[in-house]
Amino acid sequence: MINNYKSGTYVLRFFTYILLFVLLLIVIVPIWLLIVNATRSTTEIQQGISLFPSTHMLENYSFLGGRGLNLGQGFMNSLFLAVSSTLVSVYFALLTAYGVVVYNFPGKKLFSNFIVVLVMIPMQLSIIGFYQYMSKLGLTDNYAALILPQIASAGAVFFAKQYLESLVIWDLIDAGRIDGASELRIFHTIMLPIAVPGAATMGIFAFVGSWNNFFGPFIMISSIEKYTLPMLIQTLRGDVYRTEYGAIYLGLAITVVPIIILYTIFSRFIVSGIAMGAVKE
Amino acid sequence: MKLAKIPTGYLFLTPFIIGFLFFGLYPVLNTIGLSFTDTTLMSKSSHFIGLDNFKRLFADDVFLKAVGNTWLIWILNFIPQIGFALLLSVIFTNARLNIKAQGVWRAVFYLPNLMMPAAVTALFAAIFNYYGPANQILVRSGFLSEAMRFFDSVWIARGMVVFINWWTWFGQTMIIVMAGMTSIPLPLYEAAMVDGASAWQMFTRITLPLLKPILVFIFVTALTGGMQMFDIPYLLTDGRGAPQSSIQTSNILMFLKFNSSKGHIGAASSVGVLVFITTTVCALGIFYILRDKDMDAAKPTKKSLFKKTAARAQS
Repeated sequence: MINNYKSGTYVLRFFTYILLFVLLLIVIVPIWLLIVNATRSTTEIQQGISLFPSTHMLENYSFLGGRGLNLGQGFMNSLFLAVSSTLVSVYFALLTAYGVVVYNFPGKKLFSNFIVVLVMIPMQLSIIGFYQYMSKLGLTDNYAALILPQIASAGAVFFAKQYLESLVIWDLIDAGRIDGASELRIFHTIMLPIAVPGAATMGIFAFVGSWNNFFGPFIMISSIEKYTLPMLIQTLRGDVYRTEYGAIYLGLAITVVPIIILYTIFSRFIVSGIAMGAVKE
Repeated sequence: MKLAKIPTGYLFLTPFIIGFLFFGLYPVLNTIGLSFTDTTLMSKSSHFIGLDNFKRLFADDVFLKAVGNTWLIWILNFIPQIGFALLLSVIFTNARLNIKAQGVWRAVFYLPNLMMPAAVTALFAAIFNYYGPANQILVRSGFLSEAMRFFDSVWIARGMVVFINWWTWFGQTMIIVMAGMTSIPLPLYEAAMVDGASAWQMFTRITLPLLKPILVFIFVTALTGGMQMFDIPYLLTDGRGAPQSSIQTSNILMFLKFNSSKGHIGAASSVGVLVFITTTVCALGIFYILRDKDMDAAKPTKKSLFKKTAARAQS
């Protein structure tokens, strides 16, 4: 009986590891192909798939530059947009969440429910009204139209609230009050420093969200020197490059590699942070 | 003292509320307003035309087909997404299997969620291009007699959108489900085991019911995301949902109207408004129905289960 159970466990474990390994390949192979092909010449790529890097990365890069497509510029644009969106979203989310967690006021419960509702509403579908409104204000083709809405990022507030609820230390707030600090000052000098780990987790998600965002910039930004990386990918798929696979892959790899580097450094933060927004207990 | 505190809370909320009014609420209202007009980006004049935009949407089957595509693609992607998430969560929390290096597996499975959908889609488009490596391998190995135009097939194109969506989301869903599973008290399972329950019984009678709030949350947020699907189907083929508009989602249709030569933002808005309303009603409705029952039922169940457990453990 016991032996049966044991050998049953081994068989089960064996098949489970096979399943996990297959999934691992499904996840890794496309990403790996993308990076490897960025270093291969178009001829090599056309000769077939290889899992080993080659030596043609610089050629591919100069080809991209030769066609007037400035990936460096796109990279800097994406970086600027992602960093400013992240700072705005994290700061205001913590500010709002702090207000909800620390103070009592009429409508507090209503506001919390409202945030939950906002998380579930497809706000992206109002982009047309948003675009027309921004064009009236002269803010189309301007990063401000993409950064300012982050002041009211419901998802970030939802996460920040969950996080602060477990973090707020009343003694410290009271101590600040006794010292005569203003409420806003208490938030800035006492709360923010304590909240750095949560802010980092939120920040990573905000950063990745902005970095990968295609739809928003695609609608709002029109001049090519302001294009972000996902928009350049769309350009890459245009006719000029259709036959230059090496260059296409390099363009794709440049968008993906920074995120992978970020992830290998912070994966612990990230993976434990994902569930924080969803699981209350 | 108390009086002095009341405005402070509002003070902290003010930036959010102002931001929401200007960048959240007003755009929604503006979109609704535009949907009743014939506004274009090219001309200054615009007229109130009542429900004409909406009537036009239902006059041909383009709109309904786009909505149908969106739902179809979303459902086909969500079922395996939640299925794999549950399966993997059971595998990782199962004491008998005792999987090693859990952190590494989880980190790897989550990785696709961070990859830029635009880049992943372009990669798949390149691999399955007519001259791409997929054809070469299949032809050389003899699976195909000649190269195939993958993106001429309705179901291959849809399947690819579904696959990329699944690829992007199964790991993320797994991590949320797993966090829910590990928060279920262990004694419940121990008691069930003492009672001779099978693994399947434990899963359906303990795990799933207690996981319900999290599953509802996943379902609703996935639905909201799925109804706004754009990047992947847009970038996979010609940006119009080819082949035969089979991967034209409602968001792509909205964009095409917006991006038409005249820029019919009135007509585009009407698409946005209809999808916005149906999605919001579905999402909030499902959330409300399932959540309220939960608030009443799940907690007592948990407690009574606990009591039963304790009673059985003693007897």
